[in-house]
Amino acid sequence: MDGKSDLKRWRHLANFSIFRSDDRLLLIFIGIIVGICSGIAAVVLNRSIFTLFDLLYSVYHYWWTFLFPAVGAALSSLFLEKIINEGAGHGVPEVVYSVSRRGGLLRLRSSYSRLISSCLTIGSGGSAGPEAPVVMSGAAIGSNIAKFFFLNDRQRITLVGCGAAGAISSIFNAPIAGMVFTIEVILGEWSAVNIIPIAIASVAGTEISRLLQGNQIAFSHHKFNIDFTDIMASIGLAVFAAAASILLTRLLKSMRQLSGQLPSPIWLRAATGGAAVGIIGLYLPVTLGEGYHCIQLTIEGLFEQGLMIAALATLAKIFATSLTLGSGGSGGIFAPCLVIGSLAGLFYHRGLVLLWPTVSWVNEGCFALLGMAGLISGMLQAPLTGIFLIVEITGGYEVILPLIIVSALATTICHYFEPASFYLKDLVERGQLLRPGTDAKVLTDLSVLELLETDCISVKQNMLLRDFINIVKKSHRNYFPVEDQETGHFLGMVYLDDIRPYIFDPIMYDAILLEQIMDSEVEVAYTDDDLFDVLRKMDKNQLFSIPVVQNNRFLGMISKATLLDKYRKELIVQTTHRCF
Amino acid sequence: MQLFHIFRNTPLGRETLLQSIYFCNKIGASPIVYIPKFLKFLMYFENDVVQIDLDPSYLANPDTALKHADQLLEETGEKPKFFNPKNFTAATLPDVPTNFDFMCCPRSISDLSCKIGLGYIGPRVRRIVKSAHFPVLITSPAYKPWHSIAVLFGGSSNALNALRLGFRLKRLSNLPLEVFTQSEKESRDFYDAVIKAEGIGKEMDQYVTQWHIFDQGRFEHNLYEIPHDALVILGAYGHGLIRDFIFGSKMEKMQSEILNNFIIVGPNYRARN
Repeated sequence: MDGKSDLKRWRHLANFSIFRSDDRLLLIFIGIIVGICSGIAAVVLNRSIFTLFDLLYSVYHYWWTFLFPAVGAALSSLFLEKIINEGAGHGVPEVVYSVSRRGGLLRLRSSYSRLISSCLTIGSGGSAGPEAPVVMSGAAIGSNIAKFFFLNDRQRITLVGCGAAGAISSIFNAPIAGMVFTIEVILGEWSAVNIIPIAIASVAGTEISRLLQGNQIAFSHHKFNIDFTDIMASIGLAVFAAAASILLTRLLKSMRQLSGQLPSPIWLRAATGGAAVGIIGLYLPVTLGEGYHCIQLTIEGLFEQGLMIAALATLAKIFATSLTLGSGGSGGIFAPCLVIGSLAGLFYHRGLVLLWPTVSWVNEGCFALLGMAGLISGMLQAPLTGIFLIVEITGGYEVILPLIIVSALATTICHYFEPASFYLKDLVERGQLLRPGTDAKVLTDLSVLELLETDCISVKQNMLLRDFINIVKKSHRNYFPVEDQETGHFLGMVYLDDIRPYIFDPIMYDAILLEQIMDSEVEVAYTDDDLFDVLRKMDKNQLFSIPVVQNNRFLGMISKATLLDKYRKELIVQTTHRCF
Repeated sequence: MQLFHIFRNTPLGRETLLQSIYFCNKIGASPIVYIPKFLKFLMYFENDVVQIDLDPSYLANPDTALKHADQLLEETGEKPKFFNPKNFTAATLPDVPTNFDFMCCPRSISDLSCKIGLGYIGPRVRRIVKSAHFPVLITSPAYKPWHSIAVLFGGSSNALNALRLGFRLKRLSNLPLEVFTQSEKESRDFYDAVIKAEGIGKEMDQYVTQWHIFDQGRFEHNLYEIPHDALVILGAYGHGLIRDFIFGSKMEKMQSEILNNFIIVGPNYRARN
């Protein structure tokens, strides 16, 4: 018995004296484990996609190969729906939801499901990226490791962040981008306790990637000499990238809605989308797969086709990505954004050269990089992620000034047209994006039962005013719930104001029953109501307090004074750990 | 007190709902009925998230489901209260709260393997039992009123939780409470000492009508002594994986041996007075 307890006790790491006063060391320690695991997951997915795609690429010149993406997407959706039975979207919104609402709890199956499904989709030629699946996978690894060690919600959320950061760092060999993406998109808060373990996990994820795949930057570095004219031109590119981002966001949404309305089974929808992508790919192979080869060509200035083909390829990639992900394929938008951005940048550059041939423009590869940053920033509405990712994956710092301009402007323009990023759009629409320390988050974390004041004196409907006045004398409350004599059901409220007209008239003391003066149409709250709704009800009816009822029985009152008190305490809890 | 019930619009589902309503009437709880629109939902516990996969019969005849559930509740005098999910992890994956006092898990709630037989407690139900603060009601296959309470007490911490729940249900229902112990190695003194150490000796004397201690015969054979019309309360799990498996299979065997209604109390059950 004792042996068994000891065996279980070691898993409660947070109880060890070394971690009890400050859990940062604990989070760093487990963060390393999470970073390594998520890094391995990212490498495995990357290599699997590469191998599968390479295997199939050798026969891509045959007309019937358009069926590859169809079969891959169908298998991917069958795998998710029938074998894993996961029933969720492309991953990142679930991770954000879990962080925002569920203390970072994620299912164990999520740690591997997307790796397999996205490998099938992307490896067979579907237009999607492996980054969102590895984020999901890394986050689920972090969550389940936290669960294993019985960590609390805050610690679990940090480890979810560690998993996401380790995965992104590993897949791009870019530790800063992984860290920034996690903090900007997944967690939505910059706090000391989070940043340190996440940074360490990013390092662990990157190191694992370097160990297994070598220390290579994703795209080869080129020196660019950027002039003032190029910086000015980047403003126009930001607008162009923002337009492409908005188009991609809306097409993805429309495609998903359209696909959802079709009466056919999900695998057939995914196969149809995949087949359509396959057909596009027969004419424009750049649209197939994650498309990193195409990015390399654009950066190096080796994209030989002309201006119109670049434009067509941009639109085709947008369309193919919408088809793949909207119809039920598995994958993320990171890689497609990079491809679309690079093509958009290339097209923009060639347009500039056509319009102003005498101006000495920087190499088109530079604009391809800027376009990539613009698309990432626009889609994710996360400018820092866009900036750091491009700097890290290209190993160049020279483009930093126009990079900042493009990222910042693209984010701003996209925010104007699409108030929430692609990842957060659904959550915002459902009112479920609750960032720490915000009013909505504090209110959600408090429950009606926590605020219940139970020191009210209940009275019966057939009580005489005389008896009631005796009760009033003993009570410090101004309101009294009325309950049915026989059933105990809640009937209404008597407020002190209700008896004021009779209180100085003793003749009435034995003539009035409480049921004659009680307010039987009072607004009530229920224990399972959201506090947000209860407050709205109180504001609408200008109430300072409201009775809480369950099963027709009065449980207590909620007042704004108690709410303020608890609200402050909860706010302190949520914000204390954010400071150094 | 609230009991969470997932309604299935089939004859079997009717029996189960009737059983839940009966349970609620006996102890003064109200049923909260969920008519699922999706075959999956998630339950977020303190340190675990459990996905429940329902079999397709839960979505049978959606047009009449509400009407049928409503009728059954009204016939028995219960005010119908239905649960509509407010939170969704994904568009087709609703979240079900875990702040109920009881939850009814029909015997075939979990995954495909549940179709092996009605006596099977699926892995998901096990995880609910393991993580939940509330006890899980596993109903008999057909509506079966119960007129007494039987607690299976083996001396473990979960069995103590079961015993505490037995006291509570005894107080709420005012039905006779009997305790059954299969003594394998220990003597009666051991169990007395456990009860004394937990400080529940007074309640034991006050509420328990009879304490049956079997020191002979196999556990399965002694199950015959449990009244056929008793609500059986037992503690479960809280052990390691291997022990989980052994205890789980033992419990499943017991479930197939007797068709009573069960209440299973997990290691995280918070006993209330």
